[in-house]
Amino acid sequence: MRKEVVELLELVKELGPSFNLKEAARRLNVGDELVEEALREALSQGFVEKVEGGIKLTEKGLREVASHREDYVHGRLHVLPTFLRRVFEGKIADWRSHWHQAHQVDGEGLEALRRSLRNMDFRVEDTVPLTALRENDKGMVVLLVGGRGLTRRLAEMGLTPGVEVKVARRGAFRGPIEVEVRGTKLALGYGVAQRVFVKWAR
Amino acid sequence: MGKVLRIALAGNANVGKSTFFNQLTGLAQHVGNWPGKTVEKAEGTVRLDGYTVKLLDLPGTYSLSAYSEEELVAREYIAVERPDVVIDIVDATAFERNLYLTIHLIELGAPLVVALNFMDEAAKKGIEIDVKKLSKLLGVPVVPMVAASGKGVKEALVEAVKVATGEVKVKPLKIEYGKEVEDLVKRLEHEVSEKLPKSPYPARWIALKLLEKDEEVQRSVAKESQGEAILTLASLLAEELERLHGESSSVVIAAERYSLIGRITKEVQTIKAQPIITFSDKLDVLTSHRVYGYLVLIGVLAGVLTLVLTVGNYLGSLLEPILNLYLITGLEALMVEAAVLSPVKSIVLGLANGFTAGLVLVIPYIVPFYIALYLLEDAGYLPRAAFLMDSLMHKLGVHGKGFIPLILGYGCNVPACISCKIMETERERFILGFLVPLIPCAARTIVILTLVGKYIGIHIALLLYLFNLALVFAVGRMVNRLLPGEPVGLIMEVPPYRAPKPKVFLAKAAVRIKEFILIALPLLMVGSAVVELLATSGWLTVAEQLLHPPIKALFNLPKETIIPLVFGVLRKELAVAMLAEAAGTMNFIEVLTLKQMVVFTLLTMLYVPCVATIAALLHGYGARRTALIVATNLALGTTVGVAANLLLTVKPL
Repeated sequence: MRKEVVELLELVKELGPSFNLKEAARRLNVGDELVEEALREALSQGFVEKVEGGIKLTEKGLREVASHREDYVHGRLHVLPTFLRRVFEGKIADWRSHWHQAHQVDGEGLEALRRSLRNMDFRVEDTVPLTALRENDKGMVVLLVGGRGLTRRLAEMGLTPGVEVKVARRGAFRGPIEVEVRGTKLALGYGVAQRVFVKWAR
Repeated sequence: MGKVLRIALAGNANVGKSTFFNQLTGLAQHVGNWPGKTVEKAEGTVRLDGYTVKLLDLPGTYSLSAYSEEELVAREYIAVERPDVVIDIVDATAFERNLYLTIHLIELGAPLVVALNFMDEAAKKGIEIDVKKLSKLLGVPVVPMVAASGKGVKEALVEAVKVATGEVKVKPLKIEYGKEVEDLVKRLEHEVSEKLPKSPYPARWIALKLLEKDEEVQRSVAKESQGEAILTLASLLAEELERLHGESSSVVIAAERYSLIGRITKEVQTIKAQPIITFSDKLDVLTSHRVYGYLVLIGVLAGVLTLVLTVGNYLGSLLEPILNLYLITGLEALMVEAAVLSPVKSIVLGLANGFTAGLVLVIPYIVPFYIALYLLEDAGYLPRAAFLMDSLMHKLGVHGKGFIPLILGYGCNVPACISCKIMETERERFILGFLVPLIPCAARTIVILTLVGKYIGIHIALLLYLFNLALVFAVGRMVNRLLPGEPVGLIMEVPPYRAPKPKVFLAKAAVRIKEFILIALPLLMVGSAVVELLATSGWLTVAEQLLHPPIKALFNLPKETIIPLVFGVLRKELAVAMLAEAAGTMNFIEVLTLKQMVVFTLLTMLYVPCVATIAALLHGYGARRTALIVATNLALGTTVGVAANLLLTVKPL
C-alpha cells in the first residue's frame, strides 16, 4: 500500500466532511495531482466512497487506517527496528501473543489500544513516544500502550489521555525521562516512556 | 488515661507524612510489620486534651488500587478496621496529583481531615489555595500546615480529634462523575448494595473498583454467594465503558477522577507567579546532570562510606576497652569467685563476647550509616540516584530504585535485605535478594582491610571491591535471564529537594537502629555462646580435623582458618578476631601466605550470608527462596575461592 494513500485516508478521517483537495494538498505538502492520484486509488480499492457533498471513509478504509496506525505504534516501540527484525516480524503468525511477549501488552491493553487508534481524530504520525521529545518540549498525552497494570498506574500518577506534559530532563544512556505533569515531576524509565504516545506541541 | 482514639495518617509518598508523624510522636513510636505482609506499620501514641490518640502511619501511596501491597494494606485498614479519623496529608505544591488519593479516601467512606502541607513552599511558588473554599467543597475540615516547622501540626490533630468525638461534623462531598460513567456506576452500585449488603466497603466503592477491574476486589466478590451475577454485570458494563471511550476502563475512571479534581482545583487554586526556578531546580541541574550527576553520586557514596568507616572505627575503639574492662573482665572475675561450672561459664562469656562484638564492631557502623541514609532520603537525594542508575540497573532486571538496597548493603546486609521491599514486584525483590548478600558489608570490609589491605596493599583491596562489583553485575544478569517474567519499568515521583530536619531524620534513624539491634544483637550473642561452648567442649578440634582436608584440597588454606570460616556463618565480623585466636597471634603473616590471605578474604566475602542476613532473608522471602539464595552464594564462594587459589598458584602476587 502506497504511503500517500494511507496519508490521504488519515486526512479524510481527520477532516471529515470538510475534506477537499486543496486543503489535502496543503496538509500533505504535495501537489494537487498527486492527491488526485491517491484519491483515485483509494476509490478503486473501496477505502473511500463518494457521499453527498464529499467523500467518506468506508469500513474497509477505517480498518486500513487502524491497521496502519497499529503498525506505526508498533514500529515506534522498538529501540532499534533493524532490518532483520522487520523481516522476522513479517512472519509473525500470532500478533496477539507477539504484542504480549515482545511488548508486554496484554489482550486487554491491545484491545484498548486498537479502540483508541480507531477513535483518534488526527493523523497517527502527529503522535510520538515521549522518548522522541527533547528537553523542554511539550506534548499532550494521547495513548498509553501497555498491559492493564502499567496503563492504570500511569493514569493514576496523572498521565491520563489529554493531559499536557513537559519533558524536564532526559537521562543519559537511554536513562529515564523526567516529565512535568499536573505540577509534579515523574521519572519514567525509557521503556515506560516509549509506551506513552504524545501529540507533540511544536 | 482518657478515651482512646484511633487516627490513621494517609498520603502520597514525599508529602511529609513521616515528618508529621515524628513531630507528634517523637520516639514514642513502634515500628513493625503488618501481619503476614512485608509492609511496614508505624504506630505512636500522643496525648491530647485528656484523649489518648493512637496514631497509625499508613504506607505512602498514590492511590488505593491493587497495584501494590501498600495500597492493599491501606485500604483494608481504612475499610475494615475503621479508624476514628483519617488525616490525609496533601502536598500543596502538587495539589492535583495529591487530591487523587483524597478522592479515593472519600469514596472509601473514611472520616477525613485534610492537612495541607508545604504551604510555605506553595506560597513561594506563587500557588494560593483557598483553604475555606476547599473545606466547603470537600465537606471536610482542611488545615494549612508546614509540618517541618511544626506549624499547623497540632491544629490538624485537634481538628481530627474534634471529628472523632463528633464535635465537628463532616459531610464529605458526594462524588459524581460525568454522565456516561456515572450511569454505569449507579447501575452496578445498585446491584452490589442489593447482593452484598454486609461488605465493609461502600457499595459505590466496590462498583467503581469492579469497573476498574481491580483484581483483589474481583476475587473477594467472587467468593460471595451472589458474586457471579455481580461480576458478570460488572464486566458487561466495563466493556460498554471501554467501547464508549476507547481506553481501558481503569484509565477512563482515572481520567474521570482527574477531571473532577481539575474542577475543584480551578475553584480553589490560583497561581499568581510565573513558574520560578527554585533552589531545588538549580541543584538538579547539577545532581541529575548526565555527566556531573554521576560525579556527584560517586562523591556522595564515597563520602558516606568514608564517614561510616571513620566514625565506626572511632566509636568502636572508644567502646572496646570500656566493655572489655568492665563487662568481660568483670564477669570472668565474678564467675571465678562464684566457682561457676565451665559450660555455664562458656555460655555467659560467649553472650558477653557477642554483646561486646555487636557494640564494638557493628553498631558503631550502623549508627552513622543510618543517619547518613535518612539525611539523604529526607533531602530527596535518593530518587536522583535512582534516576541516574536506572539504565544500568535495568541490565540486572531491576529499575533504578533497586540501587538503594545495593548501596545499603555496603553498610549492613540486614537492613539492605529488609529494604528490598521498596521494589514493586516479587521478581525484582527476588533478584535483589540474590545480589544484596554478595555486597561486602562493613563487617566484611574490616576483613578485607585488616588482611589484604594491611599486608598486601590497599590497591589489591580496591581490586577485590571492583571484582565484587563485576560479580554482582554478572550474577544479576544471570538471575534476570533465568527468572520467568518481565522486568518492570521505573515510574517514580521526583520530589523537590528539601532541607532535612534533624529531629525527623534522627528519629527515623533511631527507629531503624533499634530494629537492627533487636534482630541482630541477640543472634550475635547466641552465635558467640555457641562458639564458646563448642570451643571449650572440644568439638571445635573435631570440626577442624574433619574439615581441614577438603578446605586444604580446595583452597589450600591452613587449619587456623577453619574456625573463622565455619563460624563466619554466625559472626562474619568476627572472622579476623577468631583467626587471631586460632593462630594465637595478630600478626597474620605468620600463619597465612599472601596468596592464602586473598583466598580467605574472597571466601569470607562471598561464601555464605551471615546468620542475621539469613534471618532477614527468611523474613522477606520464605524458606525455599532463602535456601536458593544461600546455595547460590555457597556455590559462588567455592568457585571463586578455588579459581583464585589456582590463578594465584600460576601467577603469584
